[in-house]
Amino acid sequence: MDLIIGGAYQGKRAYTEEQYKLSEEEVFTCTEKTEPDFSYKALDHLELFVLKCVREGRDAAAFFQKNETLWQDKVLIGEELFSGVVPMEKENRMWREACGALYVYLAKEASTVTRIFLGIPERLKG
Amino acid sequence: MKIYISGGCKNGKSTAAEDLAIRLSGDHKRYYVATMIPYDDEDHKRVEKHVNNRAGKGFETIECGRGIEKIMGEDSEKATYLIDSVTALLLNEMFADDYNGEADPEAAGRCKTGLKAIGDQAENVVYVSDYIYSDAVRYDEFTENYRQMLAEVDCFMAAECDVVLEYVSGIAVFHKGKGLL
Repeated sequence: MDLIIGGAYQGKRAYTEEQYKLSEEEVFTCTEKTEPDFSYKALDHLELFVLKCVREGRDAAAFFQKNETLWQDKVLIGEELFSGVVPMEKENRMWREACGALYVYLAKEASTVTRIFLGIPERLKG
Repeated sequence: MKIYISGGCKNGKSTAAEDLAIRLSGDHKRYYVATMIPYDDEDHKRVEKHVNNRAGKGFETIECGRGIEKIMGEDSEKATYLIDSVTALLLNEMFADDYNGEADPEAAGRCKTGLKAIGDQAENVVYVSDYIYSDAVRYDEFTENYRQMLAEVDCFMAAECDVVLEYVSGIAVFHKGKGLL
């Protein structure tokens, strides 16, 4: 699995599509309303799946741990959202924490970790 | 040489940008381009602080909140421009008269065109922006639109520039062009 992270609007998806020669339709877009579809080669906006889990009282990192076979050969894309003030709303605090826990787990499992900053990739691992 | 500087607020970007502009300009003209249009007391105090910090560093100040390409003049080819900041410029371009109106959808495009034109013509340009892309808060549409547009300008200009730097506690992290400075 390759993990792509970076702040909002930094070009993570464009980088993934170019790097792995994927069309827009070949990348699944997670939302806070849908379950991720792991039949796709790449999944974008992991943070929104995490938000869905928070709202449903589920543990996103545990979900990924339990379903390892689903994402072993995937490209996973997640937004970094860790550099603001501690959010006022409880849901946002839980969201931030759950995202952090998930990314730390995924980064440990990943073959490569790439961070995108202003459209420029930096390899952090692998 | 074109240098793009980003990073969190209050991490030493402006001071570093001044030092870089001084180094690059040598004996030639150096301009400090202030893009923030001060609205209240707090703004005026920030401007005063920046002006004092720059005193004696040999910058000529140009104030330009909109239509950034008009700062160019006859001596542009040899001049060094420090543009501080892209963040304020975009905000001014988005809201021509007041912040209550609709955001101008062409604002990011105008910033890109203008900022690139200066980079194409001038000897050196140091651009300063702000990294506001990592927060676990769902912003209102106004703010989210602004973040998205700023990122569009940032990514475009980062591709245009020779060097891209992130400042962390006053320390430069190279994302592009290490070895060029």
